[in-house]
Amino acid sequence: MASSALRPTRMQRLLLHAALLVLGLPFVLPLLWMVSTSLKTNAQVFSTGGIEEGLSLAALIPHPVRWQNYADAWHSVPFATYLKNSLLLCAANVTGAIFSSALVAYGFARLRFWGRDALFILVISTLALPAQVTMIPVFALFRFLGWYGTFRPLIVPLCLGNAFFIFLLRQFFRTIPEELSEAGRIDGASEWRIFWQLVLPLAKPALATCALFQFIYTWNDFFGPLLYLNDPSLYTLAYGLEQFLSSYGGEWAQLMAGACIFTAPVIVLFFLAQRTFIQGIATTGGKM
Amino acid sequence: METEPRSRIECGRRWAGRLGVATVVMAGLFLLAFPSREIRKHPERKPVRLWHMWTAKWKEDVDRIVAEFNASQNTYEVIALSVPESAADAKFLLAVAGGDPPDLMAQWNQVIPEWAENGVIMPLDRLMTLEERRAFDRDVYPVARRMGAYRGKLYAIPVGLDVYACYCRLDHLREAGLDPDEFPQTLEGLMDWGERLNRFDDSGRLTRLGFLPFISQLTFPMFAPAFGGGFFDWERGKLTIDTPENLRALRFLYEAREKLGLRNVIRFYSGLADGVGSAAWPFMSGQFSICVDGQWRVGQLAKYGGGIEYMTAPIPPPEGGRRHAGWVGGNFLVIPTGARHTEGAWAFMKFWSGLENPERAARFYTWGGWLPLSRAVADAPAYQQYLRERPQFRTFLDLLPSENLTPTPPVPYQTFLWDRVREAYESVSLGHLKPQEAIARLKRDVSREAGAREQWTHHGQ
Repeated sequence: MASSALRPTRMQRLLLHAALLVLGLPFVLPLLWMVSTSLKTNAQVFSTGGIEEGLSLAALIPHPVRWQNYADAWHSVPFATYLKNSLLLCAANVTGAIFSSALVAYGFARLRFWGRDALFILVISTLALPAQVTMIPVFALFRFLGWYGTFRPLIVPLCLGNAFFIFLLRQFFRTIPEELSEAGRIDGASEWRIFWQLVLPLAKPALATCALFQFIYTWNDFFGPLLYLNDPSLYTLAYGLEQFLSSYGGEWAQLMAGACIFTAPVIVLFFLAQRTFIQGIATTGGKM
Repeated sequence: METEPRSRIECGRRWAGRLGVATVVMAGLFLLAFPSREIRKHPERKPVRLWHMWTAKWKEDVDRIVAEFNASQNTYEVIALSVPESAADAKFLLAVAGGDPPDLMAQWNQVIPEWAENGVIMPLDRLMTLEERRAFDRDVYPVARRMGAYRGKLYAIPVGLDVYACYCRLDHLREAGLDPDEFPQTLEGLMDWGERLNRFDDSGRLTRLGFLPFISQLTFPMFAPAFGGGFFDWERGKLTIDTPENLRALRFLYEAREKLGLRNVIRFYSGLADGVGSAAWPFMSGQFSICVDGQWRVGQLAKYGGGIEYMTAPIPPPEGGRRHAGWVGGNFLVIPTGARHTEGAWAFMKFWSGLENPERAARFYTWGGWLPLSRAVADAPAYQQYLRERPQFRTFLDLLPSENLTPTPPVPYQTFLWDRVREAYESVSLGHLKPQEAIARLKRDVSREAGAREQWTHHGQ
């Protein structure tokens, strides 16, 4: 009786959803405008009478719908090459960052060694170091190693751990009962096996969160490819979009079609992984 | 008893399998990250790396110039790379600081004095023969010479100048009963024409602007030289800010807006679309009758204008002012400190700019719709043919020999200076400050910046 009394009625649920939809509308409006503009002709984009009219529902519906903008955008810069490079970097960076960060985080969470906490603070303190401070020495180092002009400066550092992910995963690992590891040890499992077969499978939500963060960071990274790549066949989508922007700044319809192509994979990924992602955020943030 | 070891073995196999997959994936990704082999058509030649910021059609023009250079000799291969403008300076400076700069950089931002002062770019004098230097001083337009110079040395070679003049819609002139052949010879006369061309709606709101001395953030630098002012004394090598001429110019610019109503002008401009590379220019849509803009609009009008009848004319000076005066910008080539193949870079600079062969280079300027750095290029048959096809372009070219044209003052804080000059104009045009107050503030800010720079230099030494 008590539980059914607390459960919201159908009407309450409807009202709640309606309120959330209204609240969500301002956030989704720029996205809708982007999609709508990407399907208009340039004449339609500029024919709206001011901002108020431009944002009206009628003005958001393209008439006629011009799918050609997507084909034009796709062919105006080598999007396929950029997409391939972005996906390659994302795959490498997500794999490298997650694996290395999890390994380091496990060490900080579960292993006892001299200076552990001081070392952890040192790792975390690197978060406060602005990239501009290290830019020149890091560039000189990569140049010395002969990595300038390749993907290596964009991948290898990520395979050596990410301070934020190390912090996030360490917190998560500490919430996993120590008894599980003890049971593994009694069964004769090595520390590596405990990490790989016991702890990591339980940390899936936290790993997914880190993976999504890393994916989005790599996907949107413009500065890294700009600094280290000099070959257009290695450019990424974020770099290509900037190039597209400077070439077609006045062609808003094609520009928005390009922006949709750029944004779509991230949105699809978020929808596919949202349950795990939200679970990961909740668990890493809430179960301290 | 037997199940436990079996399950352990299975677990072990599963674990080994996953580890194997992870290792293969990591190794594969690492292999993909190996250095890419640079695609070069002439690997036996010395590579000359050129970074530039052009995109779209202009990038293709640069690629064509590069291809012609590579075909013209057997020693060097120029490899061009288009870098997004928004971060080109950052990439360039990091590459110079990191010890691996390109051999050449094409620029159009206000960087020469600052980069020269900080040793980022090298003086070109040491690459030029005496004869080349003499020819440069003799043949190149005065404004182009000034643009590349800093503290008596030459740091940049222009490969396209940006000059501003008046664009007039002939249909509007006819409608207002104005004769294009009687184009005003003074700025005051042009203001009168503007008044006759202005159109308002019933509520008094401006719907068409006849003429206003306004060219966005360049307004003050563009018009001050015509009043005998400007921001640099080229004879004495000093900044000139709080001069009576600059004050007179700023007053004139303010009064021109005030006459139309400050609010009315602001409302009108805020409702305009604009686009450098598109058809959204208000002159094309008929919202401007006469306006000041750069020579590249001639090409845009040919492409998007849809047969608009128009003429171009120099900005007339105020009564008693200087003729053919104004600000000039442009594209230029610089060689960074630490470049490996400076001789090749210099060879390409001469090739593109026309210092070596003006007749050949004239075609390059016509491809991009650029204004040349010397009369020799302008007189070449290819350029003359280009002018015959676009008679409106000649107005801009004819301005170039003028000694009254000036680039941005060669001080190592050009961006700061131009920002403050823009701010001075804006504060006056919005009615926030009186002209003399704005000039006084400008003088104070610039002196403070110059003082601070001097201190840094002393501390650095």
